[in-house]
Amino acid sequence: MKKIKGYSITLTVNNENYDLTAEPNRTLLEVLRDDLHLTGTKESCGEGACGSCTVLVDDQPVRSCLTLAVAVEGRHITTIEGLSQGGALHPVQDAFVAHHAIQCGFCSPGMILTAYALLKENPSPTEEEIRRAISGNVCRCTGYAKIVEAIKSLADQGRQER
Amino acid sequence: MKKFDLIGKDMKRVDTASKATGEALFSGDLILPRMLVGKVLRSPYPHARIISIDTSKAEKLPGVKAVITAKDMSGDKWGVFKYTQDQQFLPTEKVRYVGEEVAAVAAVDEDTALEALSLIDVQYEPLPAVFTVDDALAPNAPLIHDVYPSNINIHVKIDVGDVEKGFSESFLVREDTFTAPEDSYFQGEPYAVAAQFDNAGNLEIWMPNAGPHLKAKPLSNVLKIPLNKVRVRKITIGGAFGGRSEIAPADVICAFLARKAKRPVKIIYTREENTVATRQAHAMVTTIKTGVDKEGHVVARDITCRMDGGAYSSTGPIAVSVPFLCMEQAYRMENIRYNGYRILTNKPIRGMFRTHGRAFACGVDTQLDMLGAELGIDPLTMRLRNARQTGDYTPTKSFVASCGMTETIIRTGEQSGWKEKFGKLPPFHGIGIGTNSVQTGFPMGIRGGSQAFIKLNEDGGITVITGIVDNGQGNDNMIVQIAAEELGISPDDVQLISADTEVTPSDPGSYSMCETFIGGNAVRLAAQDVKMKLFKIAAGEFGVGEDELTARDRKIFVTSNPEKSMNIAKAVRIALSRNESISGEGSYWPNVDAKREWVKNPYGQLSETFSFGTVIVEVKVDPETGQVEVIEAWAAQDVGYALNPKVIEGQFEGGFAMGGQGGMLSEFHQWHEGRVLNPTHLGYMVPLAIDMPKINNIIVETIDPNGPYGAKEAGMSVAMSAAQAYSGAISNAIGVYLKDFPLTPDIILKAIEGKGKREQ
Amino acid sequence: MRLPPFQYLEPENITEALSMMDTYKDTVKIIAGGTEVINHMKHRLLSPAFVMNIAKLGDLGGISVLDHEIVLGASTTLKEIANSPVIKEKCKAIAEAAFQVASPTIAAMGTIGGNILQNTRCMTYNQSEIVLTGLDSCHKRGGTICLAVKGSTRCFSVYQGDMAPALIAFDAQCILRKSGATRTIPIIDLFTGNGVQPFSIGSDEILTGIIIPKQDGTSGSAYKKLRIRGSIDFPLVSAASVIWVGADGKITSSRMVIGAAGPAPRMVEEASLAIQGQLPGEIDLEALAGMAYGLTEGADNLAMPGAYRRKMARVLLKRAVQEALEDVKRGI
Ligand SMILES: Cc1cc2nc3c(=O)[nH]c(=O)nc-3n(C[C@H](O)[C@H](O)[C@H](O)COP(=O)(O)OP(=O)(O)OC[C@H]3O[C@@H](n4cnc5c(N)ncnc54)[C@H](O)[C@@H]3O)c2cc1C
Ligand code: FES
Ligand code: FES
Repeated sequence: MKKIKGYSITLTVNNENYDLTAEPNRTLLEVLRDDLHLTGTKESCGEGACGSCTVLVDDQPVRSCLTLAVAVEGRHITTIEGLSQGGALHPVQDAFVAHHAIQCGFCSPGMILTAYALLKENPSPTEEEIRRAISGNVCRCTGYAKIVEAIKSLADQGRQER
Repeated sequence: MKKFDLIGKDMKRVDTASKATGEALFSGDLILPRMLVGKVLRSPYPHARIISIDTSKAEKLPGVKAVITAKDMSGDKWGVFKYTQDQQFLPTEKVRYVGEEVAAVAAVDEDTALEALSLIDVQYEPLPAVFTVDDALAPNAPLIHDVYPSNINIHVKIDVGDVEKGFSESFLVREDTFTAPEDSYFQGEPYAVAAQFDNAGNLEIWMPNAGPHLKAKPLSNVLKIPLNKVRVRKITIGGAFGGRSEIAPADVICAFLARKAKRPVKIIYTREENTVATRQAHAMVTTIKTGVDKEGHVVARDITCRMDGGAYSSTGPIAVSVPFLCMEQAYRMENIRYNGYRILTNKPIRGMFRTHGRAFACGVDTQLDMLGAELGIDPLTMRLRNARQTGDYTPTKSFVASCGMTETIIRTGEQSGWKEKFGKLPPFHGIGIGTNSVQTGFPMGIRGGSQAFIKLNEDGGITVITGIVDNGQGNDNMIVQIAAEELGISPDDVQLISADTEVTPSDPGSYSMCETFIGGNAVRLAAQDVKMKLFKIAAGEFGVGEDELTARDRKIFVTSNPEKSMNIAKAVRIALSRNESISGEGSYWPNVDAKREWVKNPYGQLSETFSFGTVIVEVKVDPETGQVEVIEAWAAQDVGYALNPKVIEGQFEGGFAMGGQGGMLSEFHQWHEGRVLNPTHLGYMVPLAIDMPKINNIIVETIDPNGPYGAKEAGMSVAMSAAQAYSGAISNAIGVYLKDFPLTPDIILKAIEGKGKREQ
Repeated sequence: MRLPPFQYLEPENITEALSMMDTYKDTVKIIAGGTEVINHMKHRLLSPAFVMNIAKLGDLGGISVLDHEIVLGASTTLKEIANSPVIKEKCKAIAEAAFQVASPTIAAMGTIGGNILQNTRCMTYNQSEIVLTGLDSCHKRGGTICLAVKGSTRCFSVYQGDMAPALIAFDAQCILRKSGATRTIPIIDLFTGNGVQPFSIGSDEILTGIIIPKQDGTSGSAYKKLRIRGSIDFPLVSAASVIWVGADGKITSSRMVIGAAGPAPRMVEEASLAIQGQLPGEIDLEALAGMAYGLTEGADNLAMPGAYRRKMARVLLKRAVQEALEDVKRGI
């Protein structure tokens, strides 16, 4: 049994372990941004309604603004900084850039991670499935058309690969 | 047209890879050594006299490094125009809306800052408040500012031709009133500011902005330091949409806190603060009287619009004018009268908004549809008959150098199958059209022009220095694209230094749709300046005339004999060794009438050119719930020339979502005694991916004579006309013209029921 | 937005969790998916001394199909429920409700227990400080006024959970445990009907599971939700219906529920009585739907006006019944 007030936790973020002291009232979003300086994860609403703060916890998209950091100890957390490996863009990031799915870019980290998780679970989603999967991610700039196109381009690849 | 390597092509944007990886830093991402957290104490009253502010307890709280109130400032009032100077960044006498800044603290962490706020004791004497335009105008209404009698903040009056005569000569005249409540920006990035001073008293400050120079000047004024000590830095910006152009209290507060605490301070607004304490869009009531002849040509028009401006002026004179100007650009009208009023209320401050004026443009267009219906002329034909044409003058005397309005109407009509659909669709299924036009800039005093520098390096790479700011729309890429195209180099060879007031020259900012036209022209001229210097060197080496040379693939070669070539790098080295300058300079001043003024003299060339757009949407309405399903959309704009077609499409789609899907179906604010009840994403419903229809983009090119490569601006006329298409389509579907926007399901259902009752 | 300070508890099994509840009672708040609790704490609608995370308790998760019932562990996520083949087949309305909660990401975090026990909502209650400072506290914030309905002596907040109406339509029961005692009550009885204190769950109790009884005969069900956007939208009003028919094709029983009707979901009992023994083709849907109107409160405290929401209760109920009947017909 744990009964804790401000205690040491170990977070596994982008395959690295971080030993931290975190008050239990810190959200995962706050710890990622303020303690680990992983500022790619954005806060746009702080109440679960926009998806900008989406990170992956064991490959599932999660609202980090609604997640207590202490509650995700021991799980694998992936932020946008952890998606690209060895300097090259991840194919999802690449598709977003190539298809002009990014304008101001504030929604992009959350959107890309949500798309990544969708494609992992379902490599060849239909347009309807894509729109639904990202329906909790607000983008104020693009009207979503180019975002859907970017994800669709990967979905088509997924279909071909099967 | 001449062939280009980069211009007119789908070029990947230079800024988006770093946004995709999360590396791009926004203001709220900055982490500076010893940085403090700034927080603002806000007014709990819509209107109250400030009796006293006691900060002593807050100052004593451990971890608090600075507390500021109005006492720390000069008390000067600020305004965009001399005649609108009415806002203190921290008020001394009165608060005028719930959420207005009253005091601020900087502390070692957020919890301490919040606790400190709770320890500030402010004594208020609540005053009677007004929350609607009608209440504000009532005979005994409390005055929000002494300087604005009857709470009338701005009155723009335009009178051209003979309106009364026009009405008497009209075949048909209608008068209707249209209304819409406030809407909001909801930029992705909530407002954030970081500021620090160095030992020499230089300020470095980062914030989302639509023009760094527009922020620097008032900061210099209020901090009483010269402009060269105010360094508004470049930073990634998460959207502006017409806002973020003026100085914001948060900017000033952050700077004062940093100066007092002698440490960097960062303020990050919550979503609520972004909605309540930055800017909102105006609520408005518009009465439109229009007379037409038998063929549907508008003969005379008289428009009165009353906008709810909230507590301060902001960009009031511009906001009152722009919806009218858009309409006078879009449609021919000879006898026209406009009375635009901005009325003050005890509500948050309203500013310019990308899709500003839905109760205006939708009113004009709805009424045009109504008049057409009475005459037996369909909406598309009504627009064709009244469409602005190249070579026209607008009523307020702007010359229209290029105009593709008719083409946008015809092409959207053809692609959507308008003829086969209008009037022939099954019940509750409708199609509608909207048209609009926007300016590419307007008279901005000394800030009207843009300047750019280009520096060459000995390896052939360049650095472009310009004041152009990118709010997300892709301006950085536009700059690189133009410079690289002109010099025949790769975008990778271009380093960009922009939107930094320490080094980059003056520029009007991005909020008046002028960055491509004015800033882009300046960059192009700077690149041409450099090119001519390089050509001079190469011409000497090859023994040919400068006009016989071409720059391409990082080389300069003789156009008729490409074998004769030299690397640009070599030309640079030659110049350096000869001590010849090869830096370039360009500046562009648009052809606008400097004497034109929003209120005093609203006549003369407003903007050098205008864009024109048409949107058509097809909808189905659920007759039992009033809910709207958008089946498909067609969006066309005369963009002049498409520098980067994918960027243009993105602007169309984003503008369509904001103006049409959001602006006409779901976005509006709800109120309780001057308090916004839906300040966040949960209550304020911006469109989601699942809501959006298929959008067919139609890019119309007229090649503006003065735009860079013929370009104008990238999508604002689509953004501004989408709402009209929605309202037209819904009216068409249900057989009732609607006048109160947005068209939420309850309003639509009421109209359907009302019609059913009338028919019984 | 910062969370208020609290102590964090992470029990390792249900017994430990129950004993913590017993110890801390009113001062502890359970967090499951956290999608509601965290928001409420950020808005200072809640400031518990202790927060107990039950998400990791293995004993509370999962869907079990038994002979006479289906049992949903309280921590089963809405995503699991929406995707479960058994639920989709046997209790379509429940799967449909889960499918429509918030957005897929939130449905993957949110649990069925948390969804049922989410607080009632009101535009003048679910607000941050900026909006509400300077106003007197409303009933739900411990005051004596109602900001939504002037002069009201009671709270008009609305229960906007999606799952409860569908579960109630299936006559689902919930299992409530506390140290040394377990009780099983119909979900409808969890609701007090009082917006200030909407649930009858004890401060030392944990909701551990939901039982959906199996019933004989052919059934059809549907859940209809009215919202402005296609996602991230609480129901403005909703309707669930379940209809069973016997071997003779006549309706043996039915349950209809209106959600977002007021502080609790409302059963349209009159309608169930009215169609008992009828053939699916004989039903006067309009008359039936009309019975939903009066059950829905029409306060103007959500995104759409109350008068409109009341009307829509009628439309949604009609559509839910219609679809359930069609399912029945297909099943025969
Ligand atoms: C953006 C957004 C949109 C939403 N949209 C919808 C919607 O459309 N429809 C809808 O129905 N809901 C919606 N919600 C509300 C809510 O988040 C979800 O319903 C979710 O299912 C709640 O589950 P949770 O596990 O996250 O609850 P938590 O936040 O963990 O808990 C909610 C409440 O239940 C209590 N609780 C949880 N589990 C137990 C238990 N086992 N025993 C006793 N008490 C318990 C908690 O103490 C708390 O009071 C939305 C939320 C957000 C943030
Ligand atoms: S910031 Fe987390 S969902 Fe908006
Ligand atoms: S790109 Fe700006 S919010 Fe999505």
